[in-house]
Amino acid sequence: MRGVRLFVPVPRGQRIGLGIAFFVVFVAVWWMLTASGAVPPQFLASPPQTLVAAWQLFAKFDFGHDVGMTIWRVVGGFLLAAVIAVPLGIAMGAWKPVEAFFEPFVSFARYLPASAFVPLLILWVGIGESQKLAVIFLGCFFQLTLMITVIVAGTRRDLVEAAYTLGSTQGGIVRHVLLPGAAPEIAEALRQVLGLGWTYIIVAELIGASSGIGHMITDSQALMATENIISGIVVIGLVGLATDLLFKQANRKLFAWSYL
Amino acid sequence: MSRLSIRGVGKTFAGVNGGAPTQALLPVGLEVEDNAFITILGLSGCGKSTLLRLVAGLEEPTTGEILLDGAPVAGPGADRGVVFQSYTLFPWLNVRQNICFGLRQKGMPAVRQREISERFIGEIGLRGFEDHFPKQLSGGMQQRVAIARALANDPKILLLDEPFGALDNQTRVLMQELLLGIWERERKTVMFVTHDIEEAIFMASRIVVFTRRPGRIKSEVPVELPYPRHYTIKTSPAFVALKARLTEEIRAESLAAAAA
Repeated sequence: MRGVRLFVPVPRGQRIGLGIAFFVVFVAVWWMLTASGAVPPQFLASPPQTLVAAWQLFAKFDFGHDVGMTIWRVVGGFLLAAVIAVPLGIAMGAWKPVEAFFEPFVSFARYLPASAFVPLLILWVGIGESQKLAVIFLGCFFQLTLMITVIVAGTRRDLVEAAYTLGSTQGGIVRHVLLPGAAPEIAEALRQVLGLGWTYIIVAELIGASSGIGHMITDSQALMATENIISGIVVIGLVGLATDLLFKQANRKLFAWSYL
Repeated sequence: MSRLSIRGVGKTFAGVNGGAPTQALLPVGLEVEDNAFITILGLSGCGKSTLLRLVAGLEEPTTGEILLDGAPVAGPGADRGVVFQSYTLFPWLNVRQNICFGLRQKGMPAVRQREISERFIGEIGLRGFEDHFPKQLSGGMQQRVAIARALANDPKILLLDEPFGALDNQTRVLMQELLLGIWERERKTVMFVTHDIEEAIFMASRIVVFTRRPGRIKSEVPVELPYPRHYTIKTSPAFVALKARLTEEIRAESLAAAAA
């Protein structure tokens, strides 16, 4: 495009406007597809139908509880994964023998689809909350561990050398160079992996759940209520977007130096 | 007694991917007396930085030994302050925190850290920039902070590896005067690596000239110019004569290196 130069940032107002504009375009196309009859309503509910359905879900069917349950499962499983993956990833990034020991297995495990474990996990831990948390944990843990390993291993060597010449011990370097230096990127990895958690939760809730957005979607499928299914999907998107924005804001505040 | 004794110190780097090993430094001997300002002058890649890294303890010598106040050097430590050619301030710490880094590693009380950092912020002329982050400083300012950070630790010797190499000429001259001023006030022992002849003469009490790679000491040239030195000294007959002599010596090495 003429007049739009590479990498030149747009003003805040314009950026938000452009972001909203695409949502408008998206909904408009969706609306046209349904209103023109190009797609029959039993396959794709129209935007107004979806809105009404969403309102009814929240007002009459206590959908808020389902959304709450799903959020807690995602966040719970994600936190469990993070609590182990962060220190393990740091250890793997900092000490090569630790990396040599764990890395091949973690790389292998990363490719195992978490959803494939759903039937096994039901067998092992039943259909309660632990099964949902376990799916999220499996989906996030290995990915996160590897990302953090790479981040920490990429610590600038000249900063490590400078710290040594300033009298740092090995422990001092881990605490005062590796950790603060990698923290912004680790936070960014956490943000991305939390998004990954959302892609696994619905699968976990499709089987053997009595609450949650995934449970509502399975019920609606039996009733051919596409407007409910779409409502559920849109709600997931909105919750995801909200947590993502919160995460970004927090990172910018906590690690202001890396955004200078 | 010498502050620093370098005895038969040589360094050969192992070959990369089974290639031939690289001899960076032939065994050299050098005595550095207390309060001396030694500059090591040589072509790029002649092994002069390797010698500095050996003294810093960041590399291990293949042959020989290095004694600091009679004690053998084994690994890096706070008794040898290093200023690197690349900018190695910790980007997540502001100016004051960077200067205090070594003191914090020692576990010095905060009040004492504050006193020392105050003094050195004054020495490097960065009052008013205490809370700035490295990214908000120019290259010259960053190197001034790096000098203050090394000196705050009160090292026995200050090692500088072409610290002004990336600066423009005007800034570089100002930095030389600043460093010289600090050296005259603090009475430190300094070893300064450079490939710039004028820089080498202007600051040094003694110049150690290196041959081309593999490096060894070609000559040691005392600089009899009186301290404190003003930049106008660069046009004095004694300075010009010394510069002409060293230019010849270095030129002979670069011609030989080009022919090899």
